[in-house]
Amino acid sequence: MAMEHELLRNLRKKVATEKYPFIKKKPPEGLRGKLIIDMAKCIGCGLCVFDCPAGAIEMIGKGTAADLKVYLDRCHFCGQCAESCPSKCIVYSTEFELANFDKKNLTIEFKRKL
Amino acid sequence: MDEERVIIPIGPQHPALKEPMNFMLKVEGEKVLEAIPNLGYNHRGIEKAATVRTYIQNLYLAERICGICSIAHVQCYAQGVEKLLEMEIPPRAQYVRLILSELNRLHSHLLWVGVAAHEIGFDTLFMYLWRDREIVMDTLELITGNRVSYGFTMLGGVRRDISPDMAARVKKEMKTVRDRTQYYKKMSSNERSILKRTQGVGILKPQDALALCACGPTLRASNIKWDVRREDPYLAYNEIPFNVVTSDGCDVLSRMIVHYDEVIEATNIIEYALDHMPSGSFREKVTRRIPAGEVVSRVEAPRGEDIHYIKSNGTDKPERFKVRAPTLGNIPAVCKMLSDSYIADVPIILAGIDPCFSCTDRVTFVKGEMGKGWIWTQEELRRYANRWYQQR
Amino acid sequence: MVPAEIIEFLSVLIYPGFIFIFTLAFFYEWVDRKFVARLQNRYGPLYAGPGGILQPFADFIKLLAKEDITPRAADKTTFRVTPILMLALALSTLFFIPTAYTTAVSWFEGDLIFVTFLVSILVLITLIAAWSSTSTFSTVGGIRVVLQMLGFEIPMTIVMVGPAIVSKTLSITNIALWQYTTGHYFAIYQPIGLIVLIICLLAEIKKAPFDIPEAESELAAGWITEFSGRKLALIRLTTDVELILAGALVTALFLGGPTGPFGIPSVIFFLIKTTGVILVISNLRALFARFRIDQMLGGFWKYLVPLALLQIILVTLGVG
Repeated sequence: MAMEHELLRNLRKKVATEKYPFIKKKPPEGLRGKLIIDMAKCIGCGLCVFDCPAGAIEMIGKGTAADLKVYLDRCHFCGQCAESCPSKCIVYSTEFELANFDKKNLTIEFKRKL
Repeated sequence: MDEERVIIPIGPQHPALKEPMNFMLKVEGEKVLEAIPNLGYNHRGIEKAATVRTYIQNLYLAERICGICSIAHVQCYAQGVEKLLEMEIPPRAQYVRLILSELNRLHSHLLWVGVAAHEIGFDTLFMYLWRDREIVMDTLELITGNRVSYGFTMLGGVRRDISPDMAARVKKEMKTVRDRTQYYKKMSSNERSILKRTQGVGILKPQDALALCACGPTLRASNIKWDVRREDPYLAYNEIPFNVVTSDGCDVLSRMIVHYDEVIEATNIIEYALDHMPSGSFREKVTRRIPAGEVVSRVEAPRGEDIHYIKSNGTDKPERFKVRAPTLGNIPAVCKMLSDSYIADVPIILAGIDPCFSCTDRVTFVKGEMGKGWIWTQEELRRYANRWYQQR
Repeated sequence: MVPAEIIEFLSVLIYPGFIFIFTLAFFYEWVDRKFVARLQNRYGPLYAGPGGILQPFADFIKLLAKEDITPRAADKTTFRVTPILMLALALSTLFFIPTAYTTAVSWFEGDLIFVTFLVSILVLITLIAAWSSTSTFSTVGGIRVVLQMLGFEIPMTIVMVGPAIVSKTLSITNIALWQYTTGHYFAIYQPIGLIVLIICLLAEIKKAPFDIPEAESELAAGWITEFSGRKLALIRLTTDVELILAGALVTALFLGGPTGPFGIPSVIFFLIKTTGVILVISNLRALFARFRIDQMLGGFWKYLVPLALLQIILVTLGVG
């Protein structure tokens, strides 16, 4: 019976559950969600491809002309590519609701503007 | 064997086990006489995977050995690599890592007590504990960005710094967590129905605990003062005052009390560390190639002593990586606890060591192939693996 | 003029019969779930209907639509029949307890004994259901159900006799009416009996801390493990009906049944009183850890049986 008082106290308290899909909480600032590559800054060194533990980034072409392809279905959002990038052109947005029925929708291509 | 004795298998699929593991229980009526463990249902090949990845990539692999004690595993790995590099990480990074390790311990311990409450059918306590654990999870999210795989520890330091704003909020949350835990501790040692289910259940005497190499809270609940943080200080643990919590009950209840006390102790450590954080950089650049050599590093994970072994051959990939998760050290102890207990107590005894069987599985051993005993050289193992793949 | 037979038939079918009881069953399941959830600082059912009030009904419909699996090793006929039998038994027990009107749907002198008998049969059917599914979890769960009955049946029967001795009738309807007419409510005069009865009923309806036969962490779902689809829906409905049964029994024996002043319809009093009892049961459900079967049996025989006997001795001595 040691908990009766606490039970009754909780009856009056605000409920702790979050109504997630209906009411969304703002994610913390440092959250690593979908990654965005600024191709204007990319120098095509390929370090992100080399360091990615999941092999989620693919380089199409060579050097400064290369385009990048990101497979979000493989990405496990560790953030190493953003750390490794010497020109800091990879950033993580806080967009995390990325579930999808089709793998194709999870492949993003970052192309250089001609 | 007597005809009266029946063998009851617990697992690999059993409601009391969240992860696959098998115990063969020799029982006589309701009493368990002996328990024989069978590991190897969840071999994930992490050690092999580590040898084909670079040291940087392995940070994230080490983190994924266990979802709950992820900080402890990655800390152990990074510490080993840094030892190979013969480098000392900046003092601020040490403090930040220490705070993270303790936050990790907090949420793991609260999780465990909740699970234990659920195993004895006390769902209200389970709900409350997990609700309060959410505070810790939010704190971790605030500091690192993510909730489970933090990606925070880097070779040579940490990824981000703890800002004064964050520190203030963490301190506020720590007070809440401590107050709540003190209440739960008092409640758990007064509530009759909890005492009935946990007192005198799963006894592990101090001499048995030592002989069977139990580790972590299980060992400390058997009244043995042993904590890697104290015996072999890493990070900044030698600069911070803290108590090694023990309890002399040797049963599930005292394991619960030890967990509660460690939560309270961890909140104190975090507050002290936040107050005494040195300034300076929090990260140093590290070369990609690691000098040849081998190293054993150990940390006190929430569940016990975690040991990593890394062998480097001078390239950017480790030649051998070996992990001993804390649960492995506790399996002989849990078999000892199970013998002479009641069948109805098996779930709570099993849960009592805070098991994480999936983290534990390293090698699946197939009997009698090479005509050798239990010790295989790496070459034999490699040959065996090759032959197995060819035959497939 | 509608013939009396048709009115009687409709009363069994609609009010206060099947339809009324099923609606009430879903409502009380919602009350129970919601209250326990709020005690645990959760929302509980939330989205189906206002405040999730339709959630139990939605669950029922969902289960009806689910695949119904019969294990190959099961005793098929028994396995199929037992859920229906259980529901029928629980319902017919409820017909002897006054619910919507001050008199039960059917009553006779001695139905108190008949109700205790039906409650025991309900437990036995549970054992048969568990046994027929032949799974290990079910079998152990079934054995625990019967072991539990050995614990709660004796004290429960003893305390149920207490009100009967004082009101000098063996009919539940008359006991309830007697309390109203004399103003002699047994909840006040026989408090020990009330407490013992509520604890025993907790064990009877297999709610925590006596959910030993369904202990989730030990036995998966215990005796229900193998039931699925329509059978599981019926079993869950039975559990809800049993919850009403517990509430109605306590109401009738100790709180004066569906009676009250000011000419307000009796069903209102019934709802208020049973909801009160169910809130107490839900509160107890959230308050304790599950006992082990030996601890439960020991506790019942060591404490509840002497307490029940004490109550009866007090009653015969003229106290209460």
